[in-house]
Amino acid sequence: MRHVGTVAGREIRSLFVSPVAYVVLTLWAVLAGFFFLSNLIAFQTELVRMQQFGAFDMVRTVNLNDHLIMPFMGSMWIILIFAIPGVTMGLFASEKANGTQELLLTSPLTIWEIVLGKFLAGAVFVLLMTAVVAFFPGILFVYGDPELGKTLSGLLGLLLVSLTYVAVGAFASSVTSNQLIAFFLAFGVLLLFLMMPFIAELGATRGALGQEATAADLMRWLSTGSHFEQLLRGLVDTADLGYFAFVIGTFILLSKAAIESVRWR
Amino acid sequence: MSGDAPAIEASGLTKRYGEVLAVDDFTFSVGRGEVVGFLGPNGAGKTTTMRMLTGFVPPTDGTATIAGHDIFADPLAARRAVGYLPESPPLYPEMSVEGYLRYVATIKDVPRRVRREAVDRSLERCGLVEVRRRVIGALSKGFRQRVGLAQAIVHDPPVLILDEPTVGLDPIQIQEIRSLMADFAAPGEGETPRAVILSTHILPEVEAICRRVILIHQGRKVIDQPLSELIAGGQSLEEVFGRETSRDISAGAEGAMENAP
Repeated sequence: MRHVGTVAGREIRSLFVSPVAYVVLTLWAVLAGFFFLSNLIAFQTELVRMQQFGAFDMVRTVNLNDHLIMPFMGSMWIILIFAIPGVTMGLFASEKANGTQELLLTSPLTIWEIVLGKFLAGAVFVLLMTAVVAFFPGILFVYGDPELGKTLSGLLGLLLVSLTYVAVGAFASSVTSNQLIAFFLAFGVLLLFLMMPFIAELGATRGALGQEATAADLMRWLSTGSHFEQLLRGLVDTADLGYFAFVIGTFILLSKAAIESVRWR
Repeated sequence: MSGDAPAIEASGLTKRYGEVLAVDDFTFSVGRGEVVGFLGPNGAGKTTTMRMLTGFVPPTDGTATIAGHDIFADPLAARRAVGYLPESPPLYPEMSVEGYLRYVATIKDVPRRVRREAVDRSLERCGLVEVRRRVIGALSKGFRQRVGLAQAIVHDPPVLILDEPTVGLDPIQIQEIRSLMADFAAPGEGETPRAVILSTHILPEVEAICRRVILIHQGRKVIDQPLSELIAGGQSLEEVFGRETSRDISAGAEGAMENAP
């Protein structure tokens, strides 16, 4: 396992000499600024309106965490669906396109070292993305008094969602040598994960899944959103953490199988 | 590494892709310090054989030992003992020559304290010293091929496997790569004697640097002889090659094997 860091290090350096990392990070920072500002303005307007109508009871229930930080992080979540496949599309696909896969697989590396190294590289990148997001609520701590625990648990949620998406993206990249296909495959799977509760809802109202409550429940459980929301609310539950670990582990295993299949074809 | 084991010992190597038999019961051995020309028409199974020896694909049947390490029982040690240049050099275009070689040295388990030395030595041997800080993607094809050779020898392996290293190069570059290859067979200072397998279908190349020839045709070994014996009696390698590869020895033509010289 000592070469996990070697593989990850090379990957990270490559990410930062290609424009992809900068494009994604710039876009991410700009969008974070935009969404933070728009949520801030909405928050302000709401507060002013409440005061105008003399709804002081409501004003007392309004807080920075639930009415500003939470919707802000919720918006960033949606951007992740576009951003992460852009970061992960090259993880394995470019090795295949370069022919360097042959170098990796004929070196004294284990498949685990390769796969975990790639995942670690993606993890470092999303840690950076989470840090960019963390900067904005950080401002609120200077001028206001949001709850620290809730904010941190929200950031943890965002990080876990990002890591889950990295695992999905890595898998998409492991099954093709074409980065564009890897991007859209990852995007498609993530979109499906996002739409899961709506599909379950649709099935339930139409009666198609009416009897199969378990199927609808399973879909709801599989969707990232519900688990992320718990963390955004400040509820760190092992069941939700377990969900993220489960999905990340599954997709890492799938990537490993896909890379290994080159040997057994 | 076990010192007296032959560099490469393959026994009954077989590779089947579904119905297609790419390599059929291939047995041979290569000693240290030997340079073997591995010949055969396109699609004869050269690349597949090399991929089995380097651990890229496992054989369907049979096995091989590299410097005494079985490719199944001890795959990491076997892979550590091989330097391999695939048909297209496995390069990262965005890395610098030096950074790339340092990376390869690391994943080939060259100990940290001698890594810099190993990289410097392979840069020097392949004539890459003046481009060491250049980005690989910006290099000419000849230089990229040299970087490919440099990565194959950076960990000073006892076995070197080169798959068509001169394809697509101009005559001057071919000459350069050839003299590098001849150089690799003779060990440099403090290096172990190497076994070199050179796959090619350029016959003059074989005549120039190999002392032994293995010819593979339709997945089977048809010739395994010293070059001097093969071209004794005035026939050229080209004639031998033409004669051996024009016969159909696939299923139903079993008898052909017995007539092989």
